[in-house]
Amino acid sequence: MSTDRQALQYEVTLLELVDRVLNKGVVLSGDITLSVANVDLVYVGLRVLLASVATMEEQALLAAEGARR
Amino acid sequence: MIHLYGVVDGLTALPPLAGLEEAALERCRVDGLELVLSRSQTAQSAEISRDSVLRHAKVVEELMGRSAAVLPAQLGRAFRDEDELAAAVRAQAPQLERALERVRGCVEFGLRAVSSESVGELDAASGTDYMRARLEEVQRSDRLVAQLHEPLAGLAHEVTLQQHGGEISAAYLVAREGAEAFQDAVARLERPPEVTVVCTGPWPPYSFAAEARQ
Repeated sequence: MSTDRQALQYEVTLLELVDRVLNKGVVLSGDITLSVANVDLVYVGLRVLLASVATMEEQALLAAEGARR
Repeated sequence: MIHLYGVVDGLTALPPLAGLEEAALERCRVDGLELVLSRSQTAQSAEISRDSVLRHAKVVEELMGRSAAVLPAQLGRAFRDEDELAAAVRAQAPQLERALERVRGCVEFGLRAVSSESVGELDAASGTDYMRARLEEVQRSDRLVAQLHEPLAGLAHEVTLQQHGGEISAAYLVAREGAEAFQDAVARLERPPEVTVVCTGPWPPYSFAAEARQ
């Protein structure tokens, strides 16, 4: 197995972890007393993290593709 | 703020590690349901960082090894105090009890087939090209479902499957006793050369913790 493919496997595994922790799992809906500002902060943090993971995955994919050519 | 890690049943002892922001883990009972949580000093929800994701995941994984059943909580929700948490739990108590039964004695496996060919392919010039590329994607992911997902689905109590962009992502709820047979089946899969197939697990049953999750 090539190093690129191993790198891709690692990134996919990380993606699987992040997807589970942030997108799956039981949601006990945040009470209305949670302030809007707090909720916004959560969403901002979440987007940033997901974006960075997506980028890593894309880079790994490109690297894997480049290695085959 | 209170951070919830999960709803547990038959937890023998709390794992010897700290929760988010190094706060101590605690057990708490709301009606018949047992929860594992930690309290942070900050007034806001914990910042979602790589560290907090990993810590949350680690705590939930440790709970799985020490419980008869665990429903992992989604990270990103915090409760102001115990009353708020208790109210949220009571509001969903019947669903939580059913979900605990559903995952009892089970672990989750994940399967993701990532095709490098599908990256950035859909910016085709004409509508016809676009439709052709789109159709090929659908056919590719259908083949992956037949080759990879279907041989595994029969070994699981429940499955989730998502197809997107010529790739597939699936989760399987498998009895602990069946985990080895499941992993053997994964090893026997015929993996198409143009895709990278990653099987992960055993996980706590994140994907099956909520009812009727698509």
